Amino acid sequence: MSVKVLLIDDDQDFLAILSERLMIRDMDVTTVSSAVEAFSLVESRPYDAIILDLQMPEMDGLQALERFKAINPNLQVILLTGHATVAKGVQAMKLGAADVLEKPVDIRVLTEKIKKTQMQKNSGPGSEEKNNTVPSSAPGLSGSISRFIQGIQKRCKKS
Amino acid sequence: MIRFQGTANTLGLLFCGTMTASMSHEIKNALAIVNENAGLLADLVALAEKGRPLNPERLKALAADISRQVQRADSIVSRLNRFAHSAGQPITTTSTREIFEFTAALAARMAAMKGVTITVAEDNTVLMQARPFIVENLLWICLKHLFAVSTGNQTVQLGAENADSHVIIGLQFAASTPVEEIGKLVTQEGQPLIIALQADVSTDAQRSLIRLTLPKKFEE
Repeated sequence: MSVKVLLIDDDQDFLAILSERLMIRDMDVTTVSSAVEAFSLVESRPYDAIILDLQMPEMDGLQALERFKAINPNLQVILLTGHATVAKGVQAMKLGAADVLEKPVDIRVLTEKIKKTQMQKNSGPGSEEKNNTVPSSAPGLSGSISRFIQGIQKRCKKS
Repeated sequence: MIRFQGTANTLGLLFCGTMTASMSHEIKNALAIVNENAGLLADLVALAEKGRPLNPERLKALAADISRQVQRADSIVSRLNRFAHSAGQPITTTSTREIFEFTAALAARMAAMKGVTITVAEDNTVLMQARPFIVENLLWICLKHLFAVSTGNQTVQLGAENADSHVIIGLQFAASTPVEEIGKLVTQEGQPLIIALQADVSTDAQRSLIRLTLPKKFEE
């Protein structure tokens, strides 16, 4: 069965092209241009992954993430951002984001993350990964946050 | 005066930071679409190698899309470049319209995020002497405080009129906008800029208007 993806971004060009690329990879993609439009969809249809732009009019990605998690704590939300800051990345992960990726995104990385979210969704209840919380025993940050920060640090060094 | 100059420079630095962050975000969005288009071309080639025929019309559309995004990014970079140069621009004779249109372009993306549209009133070009960067910075502070209280679907119109030796810049908001509150915040935060421009800030709650009164001829 193909992976069901809900793609949310206010840029119509980005929605059209990314959805086409995901469909080529046998994903079942629904697109909407605002988080507000997406809320009723997630209540009525099951999605394996939600890909959400961090900065959008009406409601930004973090507010939308909180709302999605309130609707269904098991929703797997990947945030895309063109404006990566460590603070926002950490906040997103604390709110339960499955991952935070920076635009332009590598399709292989995104595809891998989407497939991972599908596995997390299908894993048993109570699994640490499914809950997407920072483990209390972790020495600092979760793996995803660490990778996100490492990515930013790497780019800072390059520049 | 030295202290106010210092604080005006600090506000200028904050203005630069906010605008460059916003424009770099816009550039990344355009690059993200170029990246996806390039990726889709590679996907289509890979499918063609497996036997699916390439559709020339689809390729033409992708090329046109890439070209459009490059133009979009180029226009943002031009705006960024003009903005960067304006920071060091000396006192110059400039038209209010030019200042309004540039400020509106700089703030457009952040305005859109808050559901605000910035327009420039027709036929209101007034010439004035000033450092455009400082006027733009003060206008930005006004807009920023409007964005903070906006609940969406707002319009703000920038206009100017002659008043003897002064020019009056008006920011016309929607009827329910708390202009007195915004005026107070602008006066507090923008004080160093107001002093540097020898300006005065006043509000007209009945007309939902903030007025910035500046000398037409600036003397340091």
